[in-house]
Amino acid sequence: MSVGAGLAFVILGLSVIAAALAARRARLWRAGQPAKIDWVAGLLAVPKRYLVDVHHVVGRDPSAARMHALAAGGLLGGSGLALLAGLTGSRLVWAATALLFALALAGGLLVGGRRYPRKPARLSGGKFQLLPFALVAYGAGALLVALDAALGHALAPLGWIGLVLAAPGGGWLAFQIGRGPMRHAFAGALHLAAHPRPARFDGVSETALVPLDLGAPRLGVATPADFAWNRLLGFDACIQCGRCETACPAFAAGQPLNPKRLIQDLATAMQPGASNKAYTGSPYPNARPVAGIGGPDLPIVGAGAMIHPDTLWSCTTCRACVEECPMMIEHVDAIMDLRRFQTQELGALPEKAGRPLAELRYADEPGGRALAARTDFAAGLDLPRLREGGHADILLWLGEGAYDLRHGRTLRALVALLKRAGVDFAVLGEEERDCGDLARRLGDEDGFQRLARANVATLARRSFGRILTADPHALHALRNEYRAFGGDYEVIHHSALLDELVAAGRLPVGALAEARVTYHDPCYLGRYNGEIDAPRRLLDRLGVARVEMERSGRRSMCCGGGGGAPVSDIEGDARIPDLRMGQAKATGAGIVAVACPQCSAMLEGVTGERPAVHDLAELVLMAVEAAPVAEAAR
Amino acid sequence: MKIVVLFSAGRHPASGAPCPVPVELQALRLARDLAGADEVIGLHAGPVDGAPLDALGHGLGRLIHLRMAQGDDPLPALAQVLEELAPDLILAGRIGQGGEDGGLLPYALARRLGRPILADAASLGAGDDGTLTVEQALPRGARRRVVLRLPALLTVHPAAAPALPFTFAAARRGTVERRDIAPAPAAASEMEERAYRPRPKLIARAAPGASAAERLKAATQAASSGGRLLVDPAPEEAAREILAHLRGIGVLRRRG
Repeated sequence: MSVGAGLAFVILGLSVIAAALAARRARLWRAGQPAKIDWVAGLLAVPKRYLVDVHHVVGRDPSAARMHALAAGGLLGGSGLALLAGLTGSRLVWAATALLFALALAGGLLVGGRRYPRKPARLSGGKFQLLPFALVAYGAGALLVALDAALGHALAPLGWIGLVLAAPGGGWLAFQIGRGPMRHAFAGALHLAAHPRPARFDGVSETALVPLDLGAPRLGVATPADFAWNRLLGFDACIQCGRCETACPAFAAGQPLNPKRLIQDLATAMQPGASNKAYTGSPYPNARPVAGIGGPDLPIVGAGAMIHPDTLWSCTTCRACVEECPMMIEHVDAIMDLRRFQTQELGALPEKAGRPLAELRYADEPGGRALAARTDFAAGLDLPRLREGGHADILLWLGEGAYDLRHGRTLRALVALLKRAGVDFAVLGEEERDCGDLARRLGDEDGFQRLARANVATLARRSFGRILTADPHALHALRNEYRAFGGDYEVIHHSALLDELVAAGRLPVGALAEARVTYHDPCYLGRYNGEIDAPRRLLDRLGVARVEMERSGRRSMCCGGGGGAPVSDIEGDARIPDLRMGQAKATGAGIVAVACPQCSAMLEGVTGERPAVHDLAELVLMAVEAAPVAEAAR
Repeated sequence: MKIVVLFSAGRHPASGAPCPVPVELQALRLARDLAGADEVIGLHAGPVDGAPLDALGHGLGRLIHLRMAQGDDPLPALAQVLEELAPDLILAGRIGQGGEDGGLLPYALARRLGRPILADAASLGAGDDGTLTVEQALPRGARRRVVLRLPALLTVHPAAAPALPFTFAAARRGTVERRDIAPAPAAASEMEERAYRPRPKLIARAAPGASAAERLKAATQAASSGGRLLVDPAPEEAAREILAHLRGIGVLRRRG
C-alpha cells in the first residue's frame, strides 16, 4: 500500500468517526421542542449565508478571516481532495492536494500565532490551546504525504513520517467533533441551514420577539428540553471566540454576564449529568456562586443549577453579542425565553422590577401615573388630539419618556419643530397606553400582549398616515412586535422625519454654536432596526463636525437603559452609561447627540466633567432658531 | 397554621381600574412566609370579584368569593364564613382603596368574632405554643414587638415586606370558590365617594416679602422636623447625639 492510499484510508476512517460523534451529539438536540424549518431553502442557502453573512461578521477582523479561510479551507479541501487522489492515484491531484494542505498548514500556524505566546483574554483555553498543534501536525503531515505522492514517492521516508504525523493530528481533530473545539464546524453549518431567524440573512431586521402562546402548559424555558431543537443546535455552534464578551456592555461593567459563558452553560446543560467545570474561557464577572449542574430536563436558572438569575437580569437586550457573533447565535432570544419562565411561572423577578410591572398591569403605565398626565410636558403648547374617528397625517406617539422632565424638553422641541414645518400631527393623549416594551423585556409576556392588544384596538379606531415617535423602544414595538397582534403600521423615528423635513427645506437651519458632535446610536434604532444613516445625515445637515465614537453604528455600545436593566439594577463594578460617556468624551466632542429617552436619561445621569447630552430634536431646534440670526448677519 | 387574608375591591388611585390593594398583597406575603402557600385562603365579599382575583397572581392559591348585592353589608357574611373556616389568624389591610373597604371593617369583624385585634403588623414570626410574634409599625419608623395568643385578627402596615410580583401562571393555577350570600341589610352609614387625591404637605411659611432663599429655608427646615446635621463628627459625639435624639423621640427610655 502506498503512503498516499494510507492517508486516504486514515482520512476516510476519521471522517466516519467524526460523523458518528456528530450524530451522537445531534441526538441531544432531539430533547428540544419541534421547530418548523424550511430545510430545502435552508440547505440551499448555506453557501450564501456562510460566504456572505458569516464572512461579513468574521471579516471585521481581517486577520481572523484569513486564518479561518486558510485553516478551514485547506483542511476540508485538502482532506476531500486527498480522498479523490487516493482513489485515482493521479499525481496531478496529489499536487493540488499538497497545495491545499500547505494552506491548511499556514492556517494552523496563524491559529498558533494568535494563541501563543500569549492568549488573548477573550479566547478560551484548555483544548483550544491544543488546536494549533493538531492543525499543524495534520497539515504538515498530510502535506508531506501529498508531496511525496505527487513526486512519485521521491521523498519515500518523509512520506511515511508525514503519515505518522498526520494520523494523530487528524485523529485529535476528529475526536473534538462531539464536545471539543471542532463541534462548531458541523453544528455551525447545520445552524446556518436551520436558523431560527432565517430572514436575518435576507437583509431584513429580524429582531421582533416571537409572541408566547399564553395557553401553553409551561410559559418560557425552564430546562434545555423546553428550547426548540434548533436553538439547542445554535448553542452547540459556539466556537468560543469571545467576540460577544468584548461587545457586551454588562460584561464591561463587571455585571455577572458573559454571553459566551452563557451560551456555553446552555450548550453544556443539554448533556445528561452536565457540569460546568470544563469551561476554560473568562468567567462571569463577579460571578454569583452556582452549583453548575444540569441536564436536559433539569432547571437551567437558579443557584442550584447552571446560571444564576443575576446573570439573566444583567442583560440590556442590546443585541451587541448577536451582532458580533460569527456563528449567528441568538443570545438575546435565549435570555428572553429564560426570563419569560422566571417571570410568568415563578414570579422570580428582581425585587425592584415587580413594582413597575404591577403598575403597568393596573394603570397601563410603569410609574403608576395617570395616562392624562402624559401630555403634561406640553403645558402651554396646544397639542392636537387624535380623537376616535379622526384623521392626522402623523400620529405622534409620546411614549414613556413623556413623563420624564428631561425627555419632556426633547418632546417640546419636537412639537415646536413639527408646528414650524406645518406638519399635520396629533397625539392620542390619555388614550395612549404604554407600548409594553418594558413588560416584554422583563419577561412579562402577558402584560405586553394585553397592552399591545389594547393599543392596537385604540389605533384601529383612528385614521393616520404614519406613526412618529422619539422613542426607539416604542418604535420597535409598534413597527415590528405589534404585527403579531394585528397592528401593521408605518412607524418613523423622529430622526428620519426631521431629516426629511430639513432636506425638503421645510425647516431652514442655521449653524450650531458647538461644532463637534458625536452621535450615540440607540440599540433599538440601530441594531434592532438598522437605522444608522438618517440621524447622521441629519447632523451633517446642521453643519456640525460629526465625530464617531470608538463604537458606533450597528456596533455601537448600549447606554445601559434597555431590557429593564435600570429597574433590575444588578450590581457591577461600573455603570454602563459611565463607560459609554467615557467613549464619547474620548472623541473630544462637546455634545453627545442622542435619539432615545432611555439613552438621554442614562447619559444625563453621568456625573463630572463631560460633554452635554442633547437629543437630535433639540439640536435641530437650536439650529432652526439660529437660522434667522444667521441670515440677518449676512 | 390556617390563615385567612381579607381582600377588598380596590381601585388604582391613578387609573381607577380594579386593582388589588397593595397592603393586602403585603398581608398575603406575610401569611405565605409564615405558614406556607397551602395554608392561606383569601376571602372577599362583594358584588364582583375583579380586583381580588388578581391576588391569585400575587401568590394566593385559593380565593373564596362571597357574592352579594351592591351596597349589602359584608360583615355578617364574612363573620359567618370565618366562623366556619375557624382560621388561627385573620389578616386584613390597614386601609382599603375604594368605597367602604378596609378601614373599619377589621375592627367590626374582630368584635363580632370576639377575637383580639392588633393593628399595623410589619412582620410576623411563629412563637411557642399557639402564640404569634408580631412586629408592629409605629410612627417615625419605630417598631414594637408584641406576642399575642392565637386566634387573632391583624391589620398589616405598608412597612411590611413588598408584595410578590404578579405571576401569570400562578393566576392561572389559583382556584376561586364562589358562594352566593343571602341578602343582608344595607350598611347603615351614608358615605360620600370622592376621587383620590394626594394630601398636601404642610410646609412652614416664611414671612411675607421674604426672599426665595428664605422661603426655601423655611420649607426645608420644616420638612427636616428639627433634627441636627453634624458634618464629620467624632464617633463618640455622634453616638451621644443619636442617643440623645432617640431619647428625645421616646424610642429609648430617658436616663434615671
